[in-house]
Amino acid sequence: MTSSLLRPPGHLSPATALQLSQQAPIIIKNSPGAVTASALSSLFSAPETPELWTIYENLLLSCLRTGDEESAHLCLGRLVNRFGDDNERVMALIGLMKEADATDDATLEVVLKEYEALLQENPTNIPIVKRRVALLRSIGRISDAVTALIGLLDFSPTDSEAWSELSDIYFSQGLYSQAIFALEEVLVLQPNAWNIYARIGELLLMSVKSGSGDQNDSAKQLGEALKRFCRSIELCDDYLRGYYGLKLTTTQLLNDPPKPSKQAESDGLAPPNLSTLQKLDGLATEKLGEITRRFTAGEKGWQGFDEAEIAAAKELLEKSSSTTVR
Amino acid sequence: MAQLPPQTIQRDPQLFYWILFPITVVMILTGILRHYATVLMASPPKKVEQPALKEQRSLMHGVAVRSNFHVLTAPSFKARREFLTTAFESGAYLKDPERRGQPPANPMTDPGAMDGMMGMMKNNMAMMVPNTLIMSWINTFFSGFVILKLPFPITIKFKSMLQAGVATKEMDPRWMSSISWYFLCYFGLQFVFNFLLGSDNDGAADAGNGPQAPNMFGPGVDADKQFQAEAENLAVIKHYSVLDDVEQRLLEGIKTR
Repeated sequence: MTSSLLRPPGHLSPATALQLSQQAPIIIKNSPGAVTASALSSLFSAPETPELWTIYENLLLSCLRTGDEESAHLCLGRLVNRFGDDNERVMALIGLMKEADATDDATLEVVLKEYEALLQENPTNIPIVKRRVALLRSIGRISDAVTALIGLLDFSPTDSEAWSELSDIYFSQGLYSQAIFALEEVLVLQPNAWNIYARIGELLLMSVKSGSGDQNDSAKQLGEALKRFCRSIELCDDYLRGYYGLKLTTTQLLNDPPKPSKQAESDGLAPPNLSTLQKLDGLATEKLGEITRRFTAGEKGWQGFDEAEIAAAKELLEKSSSTTVR
Repeated sequence: MAQLPPQTIQRDPQLFYWILFPITVVMILTGILRHYATVLMASPPKKVEQPALKEQRSLMHGVAVRSNFHVLTAPSFKARREFLTTAFESGAYLKDPERRGQPPANPMTDPGAMDGMMGMMKNNMAMMVPNTLIMSWINTFFSGFVILKLPFPITIKFKSMLQAGVATKEMDPRWMSSISWYFLCYFGLQFVFNFLLGSDNDGAADAGNGPQAPNMFGPGVDADKQFQAEAENLAVIKHYSVLDDVEQRLLEGIKTR
């Protein structure tokens, strides 16, 4: 349980987050409220560990997510006690708390003003820059959020979190090529992130399906999507989304082959030949079948997949098998 | 050859309580005091100004693109290469573009560098002052005392180390003088401090606290030169992509398993 408190809580399922936040009062009661700075007592008490503060931070986020504001305030109070309210990370958490406490848009505007005042003082306060972007996005000022994010990336282009947020915003606006560019930057910084490979593949696939690019480009885009999914699987053997995307791409390429284009050839992104495609399709189908079967059977070592993703994979398999029968 | 009779020196048992024990306790207490003094005197890390941050991170970004170019497809790598080499060569990311080409500033006049030196100085002072005091304390009160006999034989070479301050030629090197005990504590208390203060303490005298992390962007390094070099590095990359033939690799990998 504590191990899941040590990791950032963004990926937790609602159920786990709820469970964690319900334990918050107990954890808060059992952990030391303040680590004393006096030399004598620190000689005898248990040493303070960085994990304790990570736990408080993650607990705070989980509590906010599940609406347990009281425990969240307690966690924040302890963090402020320890690090002071001029610590950049704590400042962002305080801001987050104010955002959570805000009941109407006017209060949010006030919080936004505070962020801007803080940034006036210290423009390199990255946690606050990020909070401001998130707040702008959540109150619907998308273009301002993008501007702020690009401003951040201008002076800190090695921030993969910011790049992926930028990609997500562009994607929500339907700007696929910009979103893909931002994700490629993430990959440059984190070259082995298989989920990012698969995500690029998904974006490419969606941009083909939405027909935003010109038709000549679709061979290249599908070819790249296929390669991205393959790379993702190569890095992570059991990555469900990778197989799912691979299956979708191969189906698309088999049923509706795009016109071969010179450009795709020259860039080395042309889709592979028919037999390879069929093999890849078979591989994806087989693996998806295995994962769904074993997950449903509750086998050990095959748990931890997302329920919704499993359901989607099942649906995809059923659909494809029905078309082959016909 | 006849065995030499073991040397015996009649020692006052009180020596233990009045010399050995006080020296040890004083050493430990000074170590703890020094640790907390260093913690108190430590200056917080200096704020990096936005242009300086931009300069550092842009260079790091360039390095990342150069070393992970294989995750990109050929066209997107080409676009990045063109953009970055132009920007690096034109000095778009420099902290102060108008100072391009001039020799780096004297580190002595750079306030940032002075700060670092002050920190080092403070640390050294925290080391030196108590040591000088204790040394002179021991020399004044306890010089010339032989306080300990080691329970194991050692060679004559250790004589100068263990019997500092006792100029007796014929004495067995196993006998140890008070000033030597001080040195032994000075170098050997690291583990005691690890136990008392946690592993990253400043209590022990161990001067080799590891070399300072090499500062890539420290004073005296010309950022413009680094950018030029990075632009060149980017320009000479022969691009290949990890996506080339990934389907074949995948299929073969699955088959061989």
